[in-house]
Amino acid sequence: KEILRRDSSVRNYSPQAYKFYMEQHVENLIKNYTQRQTRKLQLEKELAKTSLSADAQLQMRRMLQQKESNYIRMKRSKMNKDMFERI
Amino acid sequence: MSFLFGNRNNKTFKPKKNIPEGTHQYDLMQHAAVTLGSGNLRLAVMLPEGEDQNEWVAVNTVDFFNQINMLYGTITEFCTEETCPVMSAGPKYEYHWADGQAVKKPIKCSAPKYIDYLMSWVQDQLDDEQLFPSKIGVPFPRNFLSIAKTILKRLFRVYAHIYHQHFKEVMQLSEEAHLNTSFKHFIYFVQEFDLIERRELAPLQELIDKLTSKDR
Ligand SMILES: [Zn+2]
Repeated sequence: KEILRRDSSVRNYSPQAYKFYMEQHVENLIKNYTQRQTRKLQLEKELAKTSLSADAQLQMRRMLQQKESNYIRMKRSKMNKDMFERI
Repeated sequence: MSFLFGNRNNKTFKPKKNIPEGTHQYDLMQHAAVTLGSGNLRLAVMLPEGEDQNEWVAVNTVDFFNQINMLYGTITEFCTEETCPVMSAGPKYEYHWADGQAVKKPIKCSAPKYIDYLMSWVQDQLDDEQLFPSKIGVPFPRNFLSIAKTILKRLFRVYAHIYHQHFKEVMQLSEEAHLNTSFKHFIYFVQEFDLIERRELAPLQELIDKLTSKDR
């Protein structure tokens, strides 16, 4: 039975491309983490200034969390589909 | 799809008995556990407050696949039918390929063939909208975590093969810090969410202890 695929997922990459990618990637990991923290703190600061009810504040927090969640989903589909077309 | 990922009793993983610990390659990597200077990756893998764990596992799984795919892509010329006639991680561990679907009975094959099957299989899972929904609002399947675990377990084997059989080449290409950083991130992640069983990690356990000891 034919189990070999014609379009292999394995491709050649130059070490330079890999190294550059990893260096950027590690930087981004830390950056993503800090920026997400910052956005959360920013929202809390904004909320402290308002006179919103506890319920409304919770809503705002949920909205930010949803936005963050949507963002990583979009990032994933982009990483998945585009990344190996051409680098 | 759960039948695909249920507990097949691990016939694809064959630890060999009575072989002394450590190969030349393995010794080599033990002495070269350098990483890219970076902030705290341990914090970066933690589930952000309010985030859906599946979403978080999904984005990271795709990320690791990309990293490993690129890494292996830099050493394909060294990983051939001749150099690696079987898929192994040192003399003690040998892997046979089965995906539970197209290939039910584990087949013994060369490392390049095994890794080709493996990466293509992972790519298929990641591209499957039922398993990894990419549209906003579409939920993950109920068995998502077990799917992710199977993917990560298999991706680990590529790291294990590269560390055991190709670390010399990795060093020739001056990629060791990049590989170590990638692997450390991977290990932090699977540890944080308990995604790979300890016995699966055995081929690289010493390295794992070494890489993660400093910042526990
Ligand atoms: Zn090889």
